[in-house]
Amino acid sequence: MNTQTMTPARTVDVRGRKVAVLEQGTGAPLLYLHGFVDVHGVKPDFMPFHDRLAKAGRLIAPAHSGVNGTDENTDILTIEDAVFHTLEVMDALDLKRVDVVGHSLGGWIAAELAARHPEKVARLVLIDAMGLFVPNEPTGDIFMMAQPSDGGQNTGLRELLFKDARGKVANTLFPDGRGDIEDEVRRYQMLRLGSFIGFKPPYFYNRTLTNRLYRIACPSLVVWGEHDRFVPPAHGREYAKLLPGCMGLKTVDAAHALIAEQPDTTAKIVTEFLG
Amino acid sequence: MSQPVQLFCWHFMAYPYLADNFDETEPTGWVTVPNRLWDRDKARGLYQEYIDQLSYGDQLGFDGMVLNEHHQNIYGLMPSPNMIAAALTQTTTRGKIVVLGNLLPLHMNPLRVAEEYAMLDNMSNGRIIAGLAPGSGPETFNYDVPSAPTREQFWEAVDLVTSAWSKDGPFRHEGRWYPLRYVNTWPRPVQVPHPPVWVPGSRSKSTMVEVAKRGFAFFLSSRSHGEETARSQREFAQAIESTGDRYQPFRMGILLSVYVGETDEQAKRESREGIWYFLKNCLKGHLRRTGRQLTFGPGIPYVPPKDFRALLQHSKPDSKLLGDADSWEELEKSNSIIVGSAETVYRRLSQLIEESQVGNLLIQFHLGNMKQDLVRKSMKRFIEEVAPRLREESKAMFAERYGRELEHPRALVGVGAGK
Repeated sequence: MNTQTMTPARTVDVRGRKVAVLEQGTGAPLLYLHGFVDVHGVKPDFMPFHDRLAKAGRLIAPAHSGVNGTDENTDILTIEDAVFHTLEVMDALDLKRVDVVGHSLGGWIAAELAARHPEKVARLVLIDAMGLFVPNEPTGDIFMMAQPSDGGQNTGLRELLFKDARGKVANTLFPDGRGDIEDEVRRYQMLRLGSFIGFKPPYFYNRTLTNRLYRIACPSLVVWGEHDRFVPPAHGREYAKLLPGCMGLKTVDAAHALIAEQPDTTAKIVTEFLG
Repeated sequence: MSQPVQLFCWHFMAYPYLADNFDETEPTGWVTVPNRLWDRDKARGLYQEYIDQLSYGDQLGFDGMVLNEHHQNIYGLMPSPNMIAAALTQTTTRGKIVVLGNLLPLHMNPLRVAEEYAMLDNMSNGRIIAGLAPGSGPETFNYDVPSAPTREQFWEAVDLVTSAWSKDGPFRHEGRWYPLRYVNTWPRPVQVPHPPVWVPGSRSKSTMVEVAKRGFAFFLSSRSHGEETARSQREFAQAIESTGDRYQPFRMGILLSVYVGETDEQAKRESREGIWYFLKNCLKGHLRRTGRQLTFGPGIPYVPPKDFRALLQHSKPDSKLLGDADSWEELEKSNSIIVGSAETVYRRLSQLIEESQVGNLLIQFHLGNMKQDLVRKSMKRFIEEVAPRLREESKAMFAERYGRELEHPRALVGVGAGK
């Protein structure tokens, strides 16, 4: 068992821009690309899911452009730009070939990165990743739902992201009224990145990704919240079908926020695959 | 050259035929409000009626007419305000035609906006005031416009449009968003160097600075007036001073709604239905706490995160918006829907001009489903019984306070209108 060492976020200089990086655990490096309901996305620190994941290796989690202390990279207007930004972060961290786990928006970046540079990804885990165009299975409208209703109610966002929208986890992470201002700013920063790369078309997809997934021959795993209303499970089935090295599609009794709703189960699935 | 406060009549062209229970049955009046509610038979002739109201304003002696652009909502039926402006060039003869504005990021190519305004300026013999606006939340959703880059896109488009009017073509434009090899606008506008440009904004200082340095006029889009309006005026005046120029009242405009009756009581009685239709239906989804407003917030992330943080620090998520007013008393506090006798309306507007030092009042007379005869009656009373006093006293006040600035205005203004 590795000793868990929680280090505060450090900043790495990436071609003149600051990038915030959280790290935990020891052993082989494991690059983690975060999503919306995630470290950097809703909270400044690792959450229980990440603590468990860090048992599989040295978890390295850079914050995306413009999010949680990372400078906004003004060159980013498309998913292609976000992939190049991530390549630059990998260069700066000297990550030549690593296991990559990507959740949600981070999963999309991970899939696009692996399709372009399969030599950089040893093994790939996609958790509720957007990025694919699946006919008649559009992603939910996170932008509209992010607009509070009835004077500060976040019901729409909780219903989009959680299986148990009334539960404690959902209400702690997305409270009604004025919550922690810095948490709200982090959510705003993620939506802003999402608006840059995932709004035209407004469904977080790149139509050309489908025909590029054949390049990802490394062992891969697809993990999905079976109640995901933001990125429907049909997207997970599509990824599992198209990834040549896919070892399986594992579902979790949760929605898009599976890492918050079912941290143990989700982390166990991932660490068993990487173990 | 001193002039009195400029009085414009603004028409939003609301959809007036919603059922009485709209507020109970429909969650919003914007973006997703179902278009099966459009009644083809009742709506026949609606645009003609609205155009006639504005033409009537021109005959009465308003300084101009104001139109704006909205999409997929019941609040304003002008997805293309330039079409109404084109009609007004043929039905009016004196007043300015203010389009406030064309939403630049919604157009694939801003040259189309430059061309249409140039056409309108010719068709109206130089009466166009060209509003240019970035659009806000609802357009993000119904026109698939990513909101994060819109500010940057907007200012590039603004500069492209004004150069297309004023620079000799053909020339190259090498911007990030609209690179063009041949910019060579035909026709050229009547006004030189180009029509006056108005840009709407809330209280964003960066917008004020961009407006100030280009010599444009700033239209404060806020829907409530009071100390905030006076503060915005001071901030905009500072922005102008930082460019080496000085503020004068015609660099700024504000929006308000007015109903003038014979007495305060009669005014309330006559306007009640239209005003409450406007507040509860038209503002639902826009400026109401009830439901989901799509005008500003985290789902429309076009301001930098530090501005969003400042907004959170200075606002309460559950504070009331204009459409949440439940009584005449609350409405009165917002100071933007002013209802009463000519004396009452005069007194309150006089005070507003004095406090805000703003020279362009953009006044909405038609609210919600207000009947045509009431709108006209109120407009007539306003011009006959309110406007003369406002004009006389504001002319004297502006001459006294801004004589020098008005004598030699350094800001770009359209010259050559109506020759």
